[in-house]
Amino acid sequence: MAAERSWRTPLVVGLVVLLVTALTVIQVRSQAQVAASLAGQDNTSLAFLIDDLHRSNDQLAAEQLTLAGQRDALIAGGSDAADAALQAEAQRLRVVEGLAAVTGPGVTISIDAPLNEVDLQDAVNNLRLGGAEAITVAGRRVVMGSVIMQTEGGISIDGAAVHGGPWVLEAIGDPQQLAATADEMTRTLRADPRVRSSSYQASSTLSLTAVLTPRPFVYAISQ
Amino acid sequence: MRLRSPRLARLGWYPVMAATALAFGFFFATQLRSQLIPPSAQVARNQALIATVQSLESQNTTYRDRIAADRADISSLEAAAASRSASSRQLALEVADLRAHAGLTRLHGPGEVVTVGNGKPNPAAVADTSYLVGFEDIQDVINLLYQGGAEGVAVNGRRISPASRLAGEGEAVVIDQGPPLEAPFSIAAIGNRGEMETLLADGSSLGDLKSRQRDFQLQLAWQGSGDISLPAYDSSLDVTYANGG
Repeated sequence: MAAERSWRTPLVVGLVVLLVTALTVIQVRSQAQVAASLAGQDNTSLAFLIDDLHRSNDQLAAEQLTLAGQRDALIAGGSDAADAALQAEAQRLRVVEGLAAVTGPGVTISIDAPLNEVDLQDAVNNLRLGGAEAITVAGRRVVMGSVIMQTEGGISIDGAAVHGGPWVLEAIGDPQQLAATADEMTRTLRADPRVRSSSYQASSTLSLTAVLTPRPFVYAISQ
Repeated sequence: MRLRSPRLARLGWYPVMAATALAFGFFFATQLRSQLIPPSAQVARNQALIATVQSLESQNTTYRDRIAADRADISSLEAAAASRSASSRQLALEVADLRAHAGLTRLHGPGEVVTVGNGKPNPAAVADTSYLVGFEDIQDVINLLYQGGAEGVAVNGRRISPASRLAGEGEAVVIDQGPPLEAPFSIAAIGNRGEMETLLADGSSLGDLKSRQRDFQLQLAWQGSGDISLPAYDSSLDVTYANGG
């Protein structure tokens, strides 16, 4: 009995020490990982990141709600509901891909300056960030994937020569967000020595009639 | 002369030992804490912000997973319902094609993978961040790949759609409603490999990136592949204000 106790005590002590050591190591490692990630980000960047993530998550939540509604309507309805859903989806995707003419609230930005292809690509990206759902540059409809490039004769969009005298960008989307974006863009542009003038006008109804031509896949296979 | 008896002397060692162990314990604990947690209230705030970012990123992933699942469900339901009539079948085929071009389906095919990574800072100009890859660099590469005929593009596994937009947050690149992405970036494009490679190798293309590659050892490389897979777009394609005619 005494012999049994004599080996059991160090065993218990050993296990306790092992457990405490393991817990300490886990705690120290997790704190060290947090400490390492702290080194890369300052509080201001994190605050902006949080703001962006909140906005993104709200948009994703709204999209998910819409999709859940579509799915439920399809489950509840028959083939008529499916046809209606397919028609609506086709129209929405044509707008997204720039294949349909659109109307809606928006802004028209006018820039009198010798802009290059990067300026125009940046302007288009800025408008998208500012809530644009459809955009034209110099009367040409553009989406992500449109090729804006410098040529010997100037700028071309999807192979067609375009001219800015001044450059006119039109965007349909969230009117308040777009107006704020257009305001900031034109103010920033005025500080550019190349820019002779830049202004914008908000409209409650803007029509973008230019559309893109569908490009069938040659190399890609959809799964 | 002895001040204490041997027994008392031996007993006297216990408090001394205990006090020494206690002192060492406090010393080690203080040392460990000071190494792990920099002595500033800023850090506590920073940790709280990081925890918030992590929680929001987790929510972000959940939403995007649900969106992908809902889109798959809708597609199946539509296909099943559309099989009942020829006109519905035609409509379903049209939508499937539109979805593929909007980036809503997975794609595979031959293509290029461009890798862009941060370079090395200039010790003489610490504030100069030209050695870092920004969202404009990624935008330039994407535009060049489209110029080379890319039919589908993804950045670090995030598919680009016709409505995609890029933004920068510190050293991170944010694409659409996704989580922040950090260098190195892998930009995969399906399309004509020869055309994309010719443009990438052209001295006049990606001028800014290539000059920073020379000056700051920024990483810029590309590799062709016979078969690349791109995931489906999993963010919002909301159309609220633009009414199709």
